[in-house]
Amino acid sequence: MASINELMEGWGFGKQTAIGTANTSGTIWRHTNLTTKPWAKVPVNEDDKAEIGKGHEFPTQLFKSHYNMPPFEISKYASSEILAWAMSFALGNVTLSGSGPYTYVIVPALGATNATGLELPYFSFVQQIRPGGSAVLDEMLVGCAVKSWKLSIKNSPGRASAMCSAECVTTGQYTSPSGITLPAVYTPHEFNAGMISALTFNGINYLSGGSAKQFVSMEASWENNFRPGFFPGSGSQDGYQIQGRFEWGDRVFAVQFVVRVQYGSTEYSNLINLTTGTATVTVTRDSNNSFTMLIQKMGFNVAELGNTDGIVTLQITGVQLYDPTNGLVTMTIITPQTGICQ
Amino acid sequence: MQTVHMRSPEGEVREVEATTEQLTILMVAGWHQVPAPEPIAQNPVAPAEEEK
Repeated sequence: MASINELMEGWGFGKQTAIGTANTSGTIWRHTNLTTKPWAKVPVNEDDKAEIGKGHEFPTQLFKSHYNMPPFEISKYASSEILAWAMSFALGNVTLSGSGPYTYVIVPALGATNATGLELPYFSFVQQIRPGGSAVLDEMLVGCAVKSWKLSIKNSPGRASAMCSAECVTTGQYTSPSGITLPAVYTPHEFNAGMISALTFNGINYLSGGSAKQFVSMEASWENNFRPGFFPGSGSQDGYQIQGRFEWGDRVFAVQFVVRVQYGSTEYSNLINLTTGTATVTVTRDSNNSFTMLIQKMGFNVAELGNTDGIVTLQITGVQLYDPTNGLVTMTIITPQTGICQ
Repeated sequence: MQTVHMRSPEGEVREVEATTEQLTILMVAGWHQVPAPEPIAQNPVAPAEEEK
């Protein structure tokens, strides 16, 4: 018997050299996680129920089919390190500069020019409970990828005012025992909403000036819509077929935010006039830790009147347009951690 | 100013300033970061022999 609090999780901040080649221990960090369960392994069996000729309709035999690994969520308070990690692995085109702190500039990779086509970088995920001679759990899942992320910022106190979660998938390949000695828990440099130093959507500055008191909350998300990775030669584990690649499908970048309505609010006129502009969200903890999401061209698709805690609000759904020169979105992250997605 | 080396889809390698503005334009056009090229080792120059 073991408490879930004993679960230790670590994963690659560096990328694997290939989908089937695990991270080495030097490129794995250990973090806490607000998701309170381990990453489940789900082998799927099938039977011969559908086959006629047995003289009856009942199954008589079991067959190994495949590993159907459910997605797993890494849920964290937003920090420079976790944002750099999630954005890098989810978007794919990463440039690293500096000698400490380090600056990551990240944009969505394009299939035409990405060295691995429609595939994003892979990492390994380690989960352990009492590792050693009598481990309750000790395994390393190999070939994991970030399927989606979500960044939420809201008017509230503390770390929960800025959250980042990443939904991850994995092939089914694993090693047990992991052979990894996890390091001490990493202490990330966390953000909160009070550290926001720029907050502009489509020409409306919600941090200063006439709209300074309007902002309520924001949620941005990215979805890679991976295609199933079973194909001839995709491999097997324990006799079960595993996935051999995760290729992105039609990716979706969504942004929604809620603002208070006031006299002269321009959100609705921006919508009906098809006004577009950049959107910038910057969180600055100090000179070594910051995050900027620069949406290159945003319009408003929906502006829905509502009520948030008794205040009349507008929920805005943005449309993020692809600019031929500057693309869709650029993430710039300064963090003390080097080697992320390298 | 920090610089990085970027490679174009056609294979051209260029050292550029690591600003978000510059990198965004290149990365959107398909450029990727590459390691800095190794400095080319030069053979030591043999001292010219004096004419006698």
